[in-house]
Amino acid sequence: MKQSKDPFEAALEEQEESPPDSPVGEDELNSQTPNEAQNQTDGGQNILVDDDDDDYDDLGPTIKNPSHPSSSSTPKLHSTSVNASVAAAVTNKNKEYDDDEEEENVDVELSKFPSSADPTKMAKMQAILSQFTEDQMSRYESFRRSALQKSNMRRLLVSITGSQKISLPMTIVVCGIAKMFVGELVEKARMVMTERKESGPIRPCHIREAYRRLKLEGKVPKRSVQRLFR
Amino acid sequence: MSNPSIGTSSKAKVGSSQPSETSFKRKRGVFQKDLQHMMYGFGDDANPLPETVTLVEDIVVEYVTDLAHKAQDIGTKRGKLSVEDFLYLIRKDMPKLNRCTELLSMQEELKQARKAFEVDEEKLATLE
Repeated sequence: MKQSKDPFEAALEEQEESPPDSPVGEDELNSQTPNEAQNQTDGGQNILVDDDDDDYDDLGPTIKNPSHPSSSSTPKLHSTSVNASVAAAVTNKNKEYDDDEEEENVDVELSKFPSSADPTKMAKMQAILSQFTEDQMSRYESFRRSALQKSNMRRLLVSITGSQKISLPMTIVVCGIAKMFVGELVEKARMVMTERKESGPIRPCHIREAYRRLKLEGKVPKRSVQRLFR
Repeated sequence: MSNPSIGTSSKAKVGSSQPSETSFKRKRGVFQKDLQHMMYGFGDDANPLPETVTLVEDIVVEYVTDLAHKAQDIGTKRGKLSVEDFLYLIRKDMPKLNRCTELLSMQEELKQARKAFEVDEEKLATLE
């Protein structure tokens, strides 16, 4: 399993920060179809929380900013959380990466959790994640693993720009930006719902209100030309 | 009102699998499956309403379109379109910017790791 350890050590020595926990690029470079299946079937397998948390009970409550997830809201994990497309990396041939990174950072325990190259932050994440209920865990898993398909995004970008030369990093970046935008929309829609004291699934009117508010905040790029003839 | 009439977008195309390279038609529901999981992850119900998902998809496509157009405007000034243009556009939005730089650096690391992995495999092959 750990056969090819040396090249990773050599490659990883160059890195200043600790190795990525979840080889996001792997999944984004391979097809993302395994994600869908694994969202349903694997459940907690790739999150691998339960087994290895015993080591970290000592860390206990080192949570300074407890983002105590309430039952239906998700912690806002914008900039420091790694994209959720983890599962495919494990099941693809790149399992060696995960194993090696686990070896590199035994403290990290698992290469699935967000790393900002900060052991205290990682410890906090572990502490928080160990306390998740099943419902929260499944939601968190969806959050981490979901992503827009790169192939679809690439097709969309090609049709928009008319140029065939859409590089892979560009696709990855746009997918990431779009995902975060969806997050902003959904979170704001939830806020709108609580203001209106409604519950249940989000309805289009909430999304529209959220979108309107985002536009007022300036987070949505404005068209310089009016969009006619749709 | 300048609100886009999401529900009546006339760019629907039914079930064609041709890659639309120069055509301007857009399939409906390109991101539906992924968006459902994503919306659940971000706080929606486990089964988001289909009309909500469609609306979010329309909004996202419009967002990406506007972003790409702006990036193109910037890109043509310096030559061709590049990743830098997108990063410039989101420079004000700290979470997005950090996330993108993180994604890019991770992609670099993985590329290197993969390269090293292949080199190692070659070595093993030659040894044996």
